[in-house]
Formats: sequence, C-alpha cells, structure tokens
Amino acid sequence: MEVLHYFGAALGLGLIVIGAGLGIGRFAAAAAESIARQPSAADKITGAINLPLFLLEGVAILAEVFVLLIVLMK
Amino acid sequence: MKSGVAAVEIVEKSGEFNATELIIGHVSNTSVDHPIIHLPHFFGVDLSVTKHVLMLWIVAVSVFGIITFFTRRYLRQDEPIPTGFMNAVEAVVTYIRDSIVLPNVGKKFVSTWTPLVLTFFFFILTSNAIGLIPMFDFLGVLDRFVLHTSSHSLVNQILHGGTTATANYNVTAALAVITFLAIIIAGTKAHGFFQHWKNLAPSGLAWPLYIILIPIEIMGMLVKPFALTMRLAANMTGGHIAILAILSFVFIFESLFESAAAGMAVGFFVSVPLAVGISALEIIVVLVQAYVFTLLTAVFIGMAINVHH
Repeated sequence: MEVLHYFGAALGLGLIVIGAGLGIGRFAAAAAESIARQPSAADKITGAINLPLFLLEGVAILAEVFVLLIVLMK
Repeated sequence: MKSGVAAVEIVEKSGEFNATELIIGHVSNTSVDHPIIHLPHFFGVDLSVTKHVLMLWIVAVSVFGIITFFTRRYLRQDEPIPTGFMNAVEAVVTYIRDSIVLPNVGKKFVSTWTPLVLTFFFFILTSNAIGLIPMFDFLGVLDRFVLHTSSHSLVNQILHGGTTATANYNVTAALAVITFLAIIIAGTKAHGFFQHWKNLAPSGLAWPLYIILIPIEIMGMLVKPFALTMRLAANMTGGHIAILAILSFVFIFESLFESAAAGMAVGFFVSVPLAVGISALEIIVVLVQAYVFTLLTAVFIGMAINVHH
C-alpha cells in the first residue's frame, strides 16, 4: 500500500498526456485544415489559435504540478 | 546546468548518488538558514540573498543597464535610424506593440499599457534565458581546479546560483499580482471605479442567475493570475527536472552495475543526446513562455477595457 500514491501519480500523468495530446492534436489539425482552405487568412488563424492553445497548455501544466505534489508530499 | 558540480558534491558527501535529492536541491531555493549573503531582518522580513534572489538581481541589473544604455544612445543620435543591438530591440518593441497590445487593448490605451507589457516581456525573457546559461558552472570548474577557495567563501556560495529565477513560484506570483492590479487599474481608468466592478457580470439577466454568476466571475478574476503564476513557474521548473532526471541516468546506471563504463556508455548514447534535445526544446519554451505571459496580460487588460457582455 505504501507505493499506491506512485501508482496514482503515474496514472494521472498518463491521463494528462492523453488529454493534452488530444487537445493540441485537434488544434493543429483544425489550423492546418483551415489554412489549407484559406491560405490568405493564415495570420488570423494563427492568432486566433494561439490563446486557447496556451490556456490548454496551462491546464496540463497545472495538472502536472499537482501530480508532482502527490509524489513529493505523499 | 550545474548538475555536474552538484552531483560530485553529493556523491562526495554521502558516498551514494541520490537522484531525488539532486533534482530537488537544484530546482528549489536555497534554505533560508544558509543564504548566499546574510542580511538583517527588516520589519520582520528576512532579506538574506538566496540563489533565486541573486539571479533576480542579476537579471534586473542587466536588463535595466543594457536596455537603458542602448535606448539613451539611440535617443542621442542625430538621425532616427537604429543600428546594431537597437535594431533587435526596436523589432521586438514594435512587434509587441502592434501585434500583442494593439489588437487586444485597442487604439485608445495602447501607449498606456505597452510599457508594462514590454517590461514583463524583457524581464521574463532574460530571466528565463539566463537559467539556461551555465555561467556559474564555469566558475565552479575554475574554483575546483585553479582558485581552490574554502567551502564558506563567497565564490563557493555563489556557485549555488545559476538557476532560473522565474522557476520560483514566489517570483511568478509577484509578477501575476502586478498583472492582477493592472487589470483592475485598466478597468477603472476606462470605465470608472464602480462601473469596472459592475462590468464583471453582464447586466440585464434574471436575478437568480446572478447568484451563480457573481461567485463564478469573482473566482475567474482570481484564477487568471493563479494560472499565470503556475504556468510560468511550472514550465521553467519542468525543463530543469527533465534534463536532470535524464542526466541522472549516468550515475544511476553507474551504481547499478558498479562500473564506470556502464555509466559512461549510458551517458554517451542515451543521456547526453536526449539532454541536448530537451535543451533545444527549452530554448523554444523560454521564448514561448515570455510571449505567453505578455500575451495573456495584454488579453486580460483588454478584457477589462473592452467589455463584451
């Protein structure tokens, strides 16, 4: 039972990677598609995609910090 | 990274390699009981210089000195054409003004908020980037082989520096508090004090909705700076932890097989190539995180000025 928190942290880390990877993948796919459809609007699309991308990254980082806290604080 | 010096010290001290101790020791701040420079208490606050404070001072002095020197020299010129380093500064300044602040804050308040956002950008970029430069490790090698100072001398104390100041949550929290106050001041300047607080929730809804909406909006107001704090600090810490963990493989394998050859082989074929790759990724992260902090500050200030409800 002593190592159970390591188990939880590892599981959580995997879930974070799945979630963040899916999110960023969908962002990149949507951006590539819309730029292919309308190359002249590439700057605007990049600008619009930047902010939610960073918010998503912030959530993933926050989750990783808490996973680290689980390991360190027990 | 100063993993080499620190690892040697730890192995010399305890005779055994402990990866967790090494990583935590590198990433966390110096203990307040053994600061680099002792300073007296001031109104109950310990002002002693720890390694993050040292890095903070180095960053503040270098940014202030370099930017002021080149800007003054540029202003003294007869013709307004920037040369050399000023070219780079001007490119960054115009980029931030025209594509970060202007679209978010709007034409009316650009010149009010560009200085703040620019200060954020230069400070965060420099302090992120300085953490990647192993300047104190060079001093450490010099000290070990040439100078031979005692373990309590100033040179030996400074060797514990060389970390990223923005990897400390207290530093980023202070930056985020400035953003938080800037949001309130921006809203107050644009709409007046009471109208700014009224703007937090949209008007003209049925009254039961406000019971849910007002707490959510207040929470959102506080979560914004909290997320800024965590994002910057965790990103800067994460890279260091990853690099140190990968470099620790050398010592872990060395003690696992009890032969230096195993450690060197792992270091040569796995650790060093991976660490180089992650260091390259870190260069991108350094730039992106400085950009993100300034962008989000501009966006939040813009949200307080141009209310969309």
